[in-house]
Amino acid sequence: MDSKNILAIINDLGINNISFKIVSVLFAIFYYFYALVIAKQVKIMDKALQDKYNRLILLITSLQVTVSLILLLILILTIFLV
Amino acid sequence: MENNNKNNSVFYSYCLNPQIKFDTHEEGEKIYLLLRSHPFTQIGWILSSIFFFILLFVLNLFLQSFLNLGQVLIINIFFIVFILSYIWFNVLNWYFNVGIVTSKRVIDIDFYAVLYKEITVAQLGKIEDITVKSGGYFESLFDYGSIFIQTAGTEANVEFIDVPHPSDATQIINKLLSKKYG
Repeated sequence: MDSKNILAIINDLGINNISFKIVSVLFAIFYYFYALVIAKQVKIMDKALQDKYNRLILLITSLQVTVSLILLLILILTIFLV
Repeated sequence: MENNNKNNSVFYSYCLNPQIKFDTHEEGEKIYLLLRSHPFTQIGWILSSIFFFILLFVLNLFLQSFLNLGQVLIINIFFIVFILSYIWFNVLNWYFNVGIVTSKRVIDIDFYAVLYKEITVAQLGKIEDITVKSGGYFESLFDYGSIFIQTAGTEANVEFIDVPHPSDATQIINKLLSKKYG
């Protein structure tokens, strides 16, 4: 699936209200920074207590940061390109 | 202590001889007990999360009538992300707030709202008094309560709040004290 197809799908969904888009992007930015702060804290907590599930916890935290970044990028894409 | 039949019981909140390491772990220091809050005390945020999912479902019934598909989709994504983050935040809060009993000291590691770290340490030799508080219907039913460890001098007191089997944990600390200091 190329970028044109992704844009077409986003366009078809009809996310066309500019104020809605701006609020969504602001939320996504906020969520991205929140995920980064949590990731940093988890690293500190991982250092403070090394238990057998720490790897899983670090993995889920990285996943949270990735999801927040993808969400932010998709929403920015809808603002500038759709 | 090796004969205790409660090894790693109550969803990993009462672990005897756990294989863990912590910040200030000294060489030759044996870890006897790791305590977390009893899972039942986490019921508040678990129920809240279920409520949020139900709320999202109900919200979807109304949103579709005055928002388009894309907007409903984005609201849903944000709502789900919010609920999952809320769950994850509480899991982290539970997992990393621990009490540790070692051969040399008693340690309370607390992360308030994940962001603030507080580590309280009491050397076994400085422990003066141990109080167990367990009262109420659910505390009796699920066998959990709080342990307050009072220390001598200026050392901070250590508290293990809502931990499983508080009497057994106190017994372990008392055994260590009598083993070390008669």
